[in-house]
Amino acid sequence: MRMDPSTPASAATPGDAPGEAAVAASTTATVTTAAGTIDAHKLYGHDESLVRALDGVTVGFERGRFSAIMGPSGSGKSTLLHCLAGLDTLSSGAVYIGETYLANLSDKELTELRRTKVGFIFQAFNLIPTLSANENIMLPMMLGGESGDADWIAQVIDAVGLGDRLTHRPSELSGGQQQRVAVARALASKPQIIFADEPTGNLDSRAGTEILEFMQRAVAELHQTIVMVTHDPIAASYADRVVFLADGRVVDDLADPTPEVIFDRMRNLGD
Amino acid sequence: MSVRSSTLLARKSLRARLGRTIAIAATVVVGVSFVVGSFVLADSLRATFDNLFAEVNEGIDLEIRSAVAFGDGANRDPVPLAVADTVRGVDGVDAVVPLVQGVAQIITPDGDLVSTGGAPTIGTSWAGDDSIGGLVLRDGSFPAGADQVAIDKATADRESIGVGERVEVITEIGRRTYTVSGLVGLGNTDGFAGASLALFDLDTALAVFDRGDRVDVIDVTVVDGADVATVQGRIEAVLPDGLEVITGEQVAEETADAVGGFIDVFGTGLLIFAFITAFVSAFIINNVFAITIGQRLRELALLRAVGASARQVRRMIVVEAVVMSIIATAIGIVGGIAVARLIVALFNAAGLGFPDSGTVLAPRTIIIAAIVGIGITVVSVLVPARRAGRIPPVAALRPELGFAAINTRRLVGAAIVTVLGAISFAIGLFVRPGGSWGLALFAGGGALLLFLGTASMSAAVAKPVTSALGWPIAKLFGTPGALARQNAGRAPRRTAASAAALMIGVALVSAAAVFAASLRDTFVRTLDRAVTADYVISDSSFQGLAPSVAETLRELPELSAVSPFRAIPVEIDGDTTTIGAVDGASIEQLLNLRLIEGSVDGLVDGGLLVNEDRADELGVGVGDRIEFMLANGDVNTLDVGGIYAESAVAGNLLMSIDTLESINNQPPRDFFLVARLADGVDARLADQAVRAAVADLPQVEVQTNAEFRRQQEDQINQLLIVITALLLFAITIAIVGISITLALSVFERTREIGLLRAVGMNRRQLRRTVRWEAVIVSVFGALVGIVLGTLIGIALATAVPDNIIDSVSFSPGITVFIVIAAVIAGLFAALYPSFKASKMSVLEAIATE
Repeated sequence: MRMDPSTPASAATPGDAPGEAAVAASTTATVTTAAGTIDAHKLYGHDESLVRALDGVTVGFERGRFSAIMGPSGSGKSTLLHCLAGLDTLSSGAVYIGETYLANLSDKELTELRRTKVGFIFQAFNLIPTLSANENIMLPMMLGGESGDADWIAQVIDAVGLGDRLTHRPSELSGGQQQRVAVARALASKPQIIFADEPTGNLDSRAGTEILEFMQRAVAELHQTIVMVTHDPIAASYADRVVFLADGRVVDDLADPTPEVIFDRMRNLGD
Repeated sequence: MSVRSSTLLARKSLRARLGRTIAIAATVVVGVSFVVGSFVLADSLRATFDNLFAEVNEGIDLEIRSAVAFGDGANRDPVPLAVADTVRGVDGVDAVVPLVQGVAQIITPDGDLVSTGGAPTIGTSWAGDDSIGGLVLRDGSFPAGADQVAIDKATADRESIGVGERVEVITEIGRRTYTVSGLVGLGNTDGFAGASLALFDLDTALAVFDRGDRVDVIDVTVVDGADVATVQGRIEAVLPDGLEVITGEQVAEETADAVGGFIDVFGTGLLIFAFITAFVSAFIINNVFAITIGQRLRELALLRAVGASARQVRRMIVVEAVVMSIIATAIGIVGGIAVARLIVALFNAAGLGFPDSGTVLAPRTIIIAAIVGIGITVVSVLVPARRAGRIPPVAALRPELGFAAINTRRLVGAAIVTVLGAISFAIGLFVRPGGSWGLALFAGGGALLLFLGTASMSAAVAKPVTSALGWPIAKLFGTPGALARQNAGRAPRRTAASAAALMIGVALVSAAAVFAASLRDTFVRTLDRAVTADYVISDSSFQGLAPSVAETLRELPELSAVSPFRAIPVEIDGDTTTIGAVDGASIEQLLNLRLIEGSVDGLVDGGLLVNEDRADELGVGVGDRIEFMLANGDVNTLDVGGIYAESAVAGNLLMSIDTLESINNQPPRDFFLVARLADGVDARLADQAVRAAVADLPQVEVQTNAEFRRQQEDQINQLLIVITALLLFAITIAIVGISITLALSVFERTREIGLLRAVGMNRRQLRRTVRWEAVIVSVFGALVGIVLGTLIGIALATAVPDNIIDSVSFSPGITVFIVIAAVIAGLFAALYPSFKASKMSVLEAIATE
């Protein structure tokens, strides 16, 4: 993989992004940035119908933390996540994961990056229906022809707590169980960062809580990095940090949020 | 929703799914093209020959010939030339033209035989100024005198032969040199539908065809103003017994019927393949519509929810199909003309001489094309349309209320259909109620049911079998292989249905392979068992040999025995059969007849040898007499001199050539000769001597036993290749079918593919997944086809009489070839869907609902 000589970790010091997290990123030596964007623009359409999905977003997400991205519909939060994950490309600006700028990567290198450095959790349809839960968890390693870190995988599978249902097909698991398998799949390859797109959107509140707690544990106990897009303030309150987007810009950044504070901010954004 | 709204929705839907519509339409186009091509080809051939014979017989008012007591008139006695003089004296008769026709093989200036690609090499007489018919002089003059010949302009041009040049022609009296007096054509054309023509004056013709003073027929014109029927009556009154006089119209009709009969058989054969192709198309169309409707579940349910009736939904689906099929049929009709040309090229490549005929597109052909094209589409879409009508409106909200998987009721139904098909097929083959029509109806219908039933039943085994087939692929190709294996088994009904089209094609190839192998092995065994001769001598253009060839070979000291084979049609107790004729004195050295009773001396003594089974049927033994009638009505009685067991080469009844010549008046021609080397001769030197003896007759093919065997084997193989080539249309459609089905599956799995790509599957791995799924599906279809086809082949081979096929053989080589071809077919089928899958944008794929 091609490496850029100027490492993004130093270049990513947020310039005009407000909030405590940015300060923490630049001042705390132990916290480094896992992924981020620099002056990211994403435009759709032409001329009069031009939509600025991202309009100069510079943001970094720290290693070992659980971050949430919030914003109203059309704020650009999903676009930001897709660009961060290398699923979509920017119109201008830069995206990096670890020490790698994504703009320079070919489709093949991007695929390799997704397989080895990134984990994904989608809102629904996270699992291949023909594979068992266990096989789904192992899928990224299988695709790379690797067996993965056995101890780590055992730890992850243990944390999923599916027991003997591991050999079952997704259709035989409940929605909550399916999402837990999805989280395990994202964790199994020990990625540098995990992106979650509304991971609880399709679940009832109990199953949703279960998943959020599981993700929290993955960050706290297994030292993983998770960036989650959500529109649910309660879900966002499980994160260590919430970045607010509106009209393609970062408008706010909260550390250790509570549901009440988030509600409050969201209401202000709506105005 | 009115009819108009059904149409509007149908049209929009067709346009929205353009790629798939084109793909379905393509299967209809191929099916219709083949059907149209078969008709166009048969009609064009018929028209070509009709024109040819109309020209040849142009102007003939009456024709005098020998009457036949039975048969189609292929074995008429000649007419004494003196009859011509008698007829000339009849009041009202204008021209009297005796005609002689034989085989005349022209040698090119290079010393090769003029090649007609299987068409006959005709030699005929020219009666001078009196001549009637459509022959037209193009250059030079008509032949006059013993050293002149005129040839057809098409052959002359092709071989660069000019007027005044010397050419050699092989006739009954051997190879002679003649001067080309002129070039002739027929009406407006230079050629005779591929045949070559050598024209001699009457005396020369009588001499070169060794006819003495007897001709084939005598053509007559009446004087202007005379009534043909009256003259016919007058001629009839003066004709000797055994001769008849018929009108020119009847002559034209009979020749057209004779050729038409052949073209009908050929056309029907092609049509069978055309309908197989159409049947396979129907399978694909049905499958694609079924899948499409499954995928449009939500859309259709939404229509129902907003107030469309079940009937309207049904109608929309049917209208969609009809619109598509009308366009496809129109293209198919045009394509049919191309297919007709392709088939001609195919058959010509296989060595059959087809005339370069015009194109006849009869209104009947267009009607049948419409019935087939629109018919198969509508029939294929009926079941899916009914299913679409039954979709509950609530499915718009809960798409999981989709279609049930395989249920046992369906399976039992399929099993019943399969068993009924097998029974009907067996009845058709073994019982044959009502002769060949019963055979076609029961066996054809049975095969159809067998295919339908097997296709439906194979869904039950699709999962385990594809899983087994996929095992090595999963082992070899890692995760993509494993995913391919599981994808192939996840919708067993769809897998079975898309494999079914290939299954049918493969089953037919396999059945033909078993049949051909059995035929070949039986032939080889028969040759080993029944023939003790060292050489088989035949005419390379299958026109038989002049008896002089046998005479020439008999003079060779290197050969101890030479026998010709001839046969004449006879009627015994009202049944038509044939009696073979061989050289009575030497046949024991050449054939192993396995005599049970009596001796071959019976032949030399002017008697008959009878096969034991036939003897039982006739209730005769050695010393009894058999009475039979020849085609000219003569009745003869011969003693049974012996009973033999080996009928494979000899047939059921044998007489000696001498006996045949004593009772038969037709000009002699040997089908083929067998010969044996004398004891103690050097085989290599003898071989050279035998070949040298007929070296000036390039049409004579001298083959050792082994060469003859190889040639016959090659011919059976060639037949198999032609059958396979004709099935290629169906197999191509099957591959297209697998391709469409897979593309639809890929489309259906968009979300899943997005996920795979998102978690790190690269494009190559994705293409590999799709590719191996296609291979598994097509190999699955091939395996089911091999099993079914082999069973059908066994049934066919068993149904054929023992003297043609006595036991069933298999060709494992062809089976292996089919499996390899199926893998390649799968790779081809995967090209489009795998490309489609790998081009999917990950983002759009995961955003798809």
